[in-house]
Amino acid sequence: MARNRISSFLESPRLLSLLLVGAVIWSLTSIDWSGPLFHTGGGDSALRFLLALFPPDLSPGFLGIVVAAVWQTLAFALAGMTVAVALGLPLGILASGAMASPESRLRRPTVVGVRFLLGAMRSIHELVWAVLFVAAVGLSPLAGILALGLPYAGILGRIYADFLVEAPEEPLLALRSSGASAWQLLIYGRLPMCLPDLVSYTFYRFECSVRSAAILSFVGIRGIGYEIQLSLGDLLFSQVWTLLLALLAIVALVDLWSGYVRRSLLTS
Amino acid sequence: MTATSLNQRESLSTDGSCGVPLVQAQGVTRSFSRVTALRSVSFAIGEGERVAVVGPSGSGKTTLLNLLSGTLQPDAGSLTIAGRCLSQNLPRSELASLVGIIHQQFDLVPQLPVVHNVLAGRFGQWGMFRSLFSLVWPQDYRLAADALEQMGISDKIQERTSHLSGGEQQRVAIARAIVQSPRLVLADEPVASLDPARAEEVMQLLVELTQDSGRALIASIHSTELVQRFFTRVIGLREGQLQFDMPSANLTQADLTDLYELHHEESSHHWH
Repeated sequence: MARNRISSFLESPRLLSLLLVGAVIWSLTSIDWSGPLFHTGGGDSALRFLLALFPPDLSPGFLGIVVAAVWQTLAFALAGMTVAVALGLPLGILASGAMASPESRLRRPTVVGVRFLLGAMRSIHELVWAVLFVAAVGLSPLAGILALGLPYAGILGRIYADFLVEAPEEPLLALRSSGASAWQLLIYGRLPMCLPDLVSYTFYRFECSVRSAAILSFVGIRGIGYEIQLSLGDLLFSQVWTLLLALLAIVALVDLWSGYVRRSLLTS
Repeated sequence: MTATSLNQRESLSTDGSCGVPLVQAQGVTRSFSRVTALRSVSFAIGEGERVAVVGPSGSGKTTLLNLLSGTLQPDAGSLTIAGRCLSQNLPRSELASLVGIIHQQFDLVPQLPVVHNVLAGRFGQWGMFRSLFSLVWPQDYRLAADALEQMGISDKIQERTSHLSGGEQQRVAIARAIVQSPRLVLADEPVASLDPARAEEVMQLLVELTQDSGRALIASIHSTELVQRFFTRVIGLREGQLQFDMPSANLTQADLTDLYELHHEESSHHWH
């Protein structure tokens, strides 16, 4: 009884709420209330940065740089996602346990092992992967692609596995009773039934990977982030704005595209 | 041997003229956690028989069909089809040639074109590469086209399955069974979701499907009228036990009323 009460307390949202409220209160005690909270020049800088939006730098010379940076970032995002899907799909299928018969003794160890591997891949942030790969293979595009591909494969594999597990049971049972093997269940049952979800989630992650690819530039890989860093260093805020708007435009375009593909998948 | 004389056979006693019955159930028992869904059920079904299984919900009809289809294993007792014992080590291709099941609905993969849902009946015979190849270039296309032709929906062969009506989807499921061509066809409430005219059509198709020699049909059914029109024999289940087993022509409304009636002391049980 006592054990039950303890575990239900651990699982209830009450414990988390208490911890969070406690953390906030404790953090207030660590602030030096007598000194100024903000850097004195902060307000001025913020205002200057905001005003630089009117207008952003649209000079032809700089736009050329922006287009090249957008292209590089998109290329990194696409290459990284390709690696992520190529790794994440097979790992996700293994992690779903769909390929092993429920009676197989290897099923549970495989599922647990692959899920652990996926967890390890995504628990390390892409920036940390980037630092590691830059150290290992130098400042090459390969470092950027792998740094994106590994954590995204971890995320995709996990979500793919969950989708495959939650595929409706009845059609699968019917396929099984007409003699289908695990492979046939996968390609004629689970994958087609999950395809709209798989595709739309992959697009959502592609959108995220564009942002991640931009950020990767901060470790020295070329792209939008790299240009932002250069312009910020020179205090050319109107250039920073141009680059931010370009990033916004790509993300919006990917979003539109994914919506279009998803709709056509659902209705075709 | 005529269907009538098969119907009259009460026990498993093998009479020399027929040999081994197509389906033989002996003391089949199956429980789910603490509820006994089926308690020591025995019967034998010969080739050419069409057996209706009747009983209130929770009486064990679906459990019986799932056991016969090999997707469930009995806790005790044995089930054989054409002399082969239904166990987990039976190869899937052999199981598929012995028995196939048609459910009330949700049998099909809605995202796939009709042709693939029909060709699923060939999966027992196909290996992995043939199945992969078929996804692009449908194998045994003629078989699927013929089956759909029989169902009167050959024009739907390339259509996405989810675009078909409920009745059309039921026909696709039957077309799959035609392609699979098992000795024993099971149908779990095959007409429950259809209007009377469609129900009659589907019943007729199921009868035709099992008319060839060496086959049999077992279906769970609710309507007395359908039982008498389309079946040769009827088995009544109540709370997991065999209540009656007789030629369908002998079935009376009184039998059914008795079967479905809630006995006072038994209604306190919660059969699921």
